[in-house]
Amino acid sequence: MASDDSCIANGRYKYIHDDHKDSIEAIDAHHVVVQTNNSRVFFVGLSALLLTATAVSLSLLKDESILILLWSLLLSALLVKLFLRKPVEKESIIIMSAFGVQLETQYGSGRTVRRFIPIDKILKPVLNECVTPVTCYWSLSLIVRGDEELTLVFKELRPPVKMLIPIWKALCAAATNSPNDS
Amino acid sequence: MGERSKHRILMVSDFFYPNFGGVENHIYYLSQCLLKLGHKVVVMTHAYGKRSGVRYMTGGLKVYYVPWKPFVMQNTLPTFYGTLPITRTILIREKISLVHGHQAFSTLCHEALMHARTMGYKVVFTDHSLYGFADAGSIHMNKVLQFTLADVSQAICVSHTSKENTVLRSGLPPEKVFVIPNAVDTAMFKPAPERLSSDEIVIVVISRLVYRKGADLLVEVIPEVCRLYPNVRFIVGGDGPKRVRIEEMREKHSLQDRVEMLGAVPHSKVQSVLISGHIFLNSSLTEAFCIAILEAASCGLLTVSTRVGGVPEVLPDDMVVLARPDPMDMVQAIQKAISMLPKMDPQAMHLRMKKLYSWHDVAKRTEIVYDRALRCSNQNLLERLSRYLTCGAWAGKLFCLVMIIDFLFWHLLQVLQPAKDIEEVPDIILPNCQYGEKSGDFSDA
Repeated sequence: MASDDSCIANGRYKYIHDDHKDSIEAIDAHHVVVQTNNSRVFFVGLSALLLTATAVSLSLLKDESILILLWSLLLSALLVKLFLRKPVEKESIIIMSAFGVQLETQYGSGRTVRRFIPIDKILKPVLNECVTPVTCYWSLSLIVRGDEELTLVFKELRPPVKMLIPIWKALCAAATNSPNDS
Repeated sequence: MGERSKHRILMVSDFFYPNFGGVENHIYYLSQCLLKLGHKVVVMTHAYGKRSGVRYMTGGLKVYYVPWKPFVMQNTLPTFYGTLPITRTILIREKISLVHGHQAFSTLCHEALMHARTMGYKVVFTDHSLYGFADAGSIHMNKVLQFTLADVSQAICVSHTSKENTVLRSGLPPEKVFVIPNAVDTAMFKPAPERLSSDEIVIVVISRLVYRKGADLLVEVIPEVCRLYPNVRFIVGGDGPKRVRIEEMREKHSLQDRVEMLGAVPHSKVQSVLISGHIFLNSSLTEAFCIAILEAASCGLLTVSTRVGGVPEVLPDDMVVLARPDPMDMVQAIQKAISMLPKMDPQAMHLRMKKLYSWHDVAKRTEIVYDRALRCSNQNLLERLSRYLTCGAWAGKLFCLVMIIDFLFWHLLQVLQPAKDIEEVPDIILPNCQYGEKSGDFSDA
């Protein structure tokens, strides 16, 4: 089964496209994987280390109670747990042109959230510019029949527009080729 | 006369659609005419209620409604450095070459101009109103204006009087200030197809009923004119705090059948109100330029106005009768106007206004200002700081400090969010048909 893989990467995200064109199930999967941020790992590790070192020195040199050491160990463990592990591992969209579209989010804790949208409910995929008080970014959304609000394809991540464009084109092709056009 | 290069302009102001007003219309019409000339225009303003994000207007005019809440009189909360990230993002995304700020009273405009200067962009500022010098609010605003204009590339004022006012308030060298008057949309403001009968003379007043627009003068003038001329009727459009006084005057002199109060008139209905009258009365106490009298003249009305601010520069002498802002003087001016009425031809006035004022002309003149601004030399931070120091003993040092901190924030932002991470937006090519979809040219992105 030949699969057509293409990969675009920028510092923060990596985009993988699995296109199983020749297989019996014609599915088109697009994944956006969050890269490990080395500088963040370094920063978090360093601050945890500093915190523990300060607590140890305080308890040993100044004869402070052992409670402070315990609290600082707890705090650094919490810090490492919260910030070292990525909140989101991967977000993907699987396009099955005859059936529909599956949106999947894989969190760092192991939990995976999936949502399926049937093909005849998708009216149009749109690329929107979202403006926040500090920045402006592109997002890909689907106009779903019956829903007042747009459905974001990538709920948690903000991939750059060059990763969103092939996905948008694939969604447009799938939406226009669907048998139910009205 | 070689091909002029096309610019990419960012218009910044707190005042834009969906508000209607002089500044808002100016920005809109100027942007449309610049788009027709081939330039790219993007507008940045604050969000109006639920209208937030990117919107497109006629002709492909892109508007960024940045979700900063307005806090007083439609102005965004001045946070000095808060708008730096979004301004930088918009400037990089749209590949802007020049920033054009409007209205001295707009905090977003001042902040955006400050950030644009820090980042090295050329900056043009347009002042639309006259302000005083004496009260506390004016003193502070003039200081802010002095700060912004200390380092502006070029400035535009809407009349010679406004230029004098701006130069005195801000200490800007007069050579940097251009005078480009506003214009009027003569296609929208057309006279009535048939001439009105002249047995009953109708005087139209459309303005906000506030102190600044001379509503108190109206209270004195209307009963006197009604007493002198039994065949004169008034139509008063507009709303405001002084409306109560005018209604009281109506009751006191029993003029209910001779003075019609229309309330607030939406901008789209102004023309239909104007063409129902013969004379337009403007009683403002201060006016940098008065677009209202242009609209009235374009509809073929004879104007009676107070001789204040930039009003004498607006219309030719045979289309306007000027008076001092004094009730008796204004009554005499109305008398003169009534006697001039038989000689007036609304269609001829409209054709004359078409030749005298057009937004395309304003856009061409503004293009010259942009060309001049872009030819200004690039200056580094130290040279620019010396200009701020001349603003005052304490103020100069404070302004320098503000600019240095802005510069440091900008460099910090360049490290946290590098420019290469901000994607540039492809230019949307509009198809010729009006109701077709806009398709972006994404194939090369």
